[in-house]
Amino acid sequence: MERLKIKAQEIKAELIARFKSLRNIWQYSDSQPTEITLAVALVFLYPTATYLELGYSPIMDVLGPMAGIYQLYCVSGKCLSCRVRASFITFSFYLLATVMYLYCGMLFKSPTYWGWVVLCFSSFGSLKRIKKEELHRKNG
Amino acid sequence: MDNSTQIVLAVVTLLGSAGIWKYAEARLRVKAELRKEEQSSNDTVLYRDDLKSRVEEMDKALKEAHKELLALTEKVAKLETENSFLRREIDILKRN
Repeated sequence: MERLKIKAQEIKAELIARFKSLRNIWQYSDSQPTEITLAVALVFLYPTATYLELGYSPIMDVLGPMAGIYQLYCVSGKCLSCRVRASFITFSFYLLATVMYLYCGMLFKSPTYWGWVVLCFSSFGSLKRIKKEELHRKNG
Repeated sequence: MDNSTQIVLAVVTLLGSAGIWKYAEARLRVKAELRKEEQSSNDTVLYRDDLKSRVEEMDKALKEAHKELLALTEKVAKLETENSFLRREIDILKRN
């Protein structure tokens, strides 16, 4: 019984350590690849999916891809404040898609639609990471 | 979905995301400030800063010493040349 308890504590400690490691990676890892993926999805996937599922929306189908291109431009330019701005815009667009799907009652129709929530979460994480990097560089 | 609904939803979402971001940004700033304060009172960091300034001073001193060394080498070279000429003249005078 005692051995089982010790084993359980060890497993718990290991799981907590792994969770903390994942959290650290999520908070501090390099976010350019994520930004590029989110931007490419915003340029290609976003207008296609929203057009086919929600119908034509000039805000999402025209401005969305433009925001994606702006994000790609900022990532390639290596300017932190520009990346923060672009990431905020990207996050806003993904949030808008989530809200639109929710408004149309489609978000809970199928688990595949939850991908918008994942993209929203991912873009917000990316935004936080860049801001942290900016603050870290400012404070030294 | 009609255009007016889309615009209203877009505006509401934009305001919402701006609000969320403002809150998150303020939290990040506070955390960064706290971390900075902690670091400024940390002995290891103070020691590291002291070492940094000492390295900078030593680097400056090394550069100055290098300059002085170059000037001295130049002077020695000049004196060696003068010395060789003087020796030659002394030899000539001795022969005469």
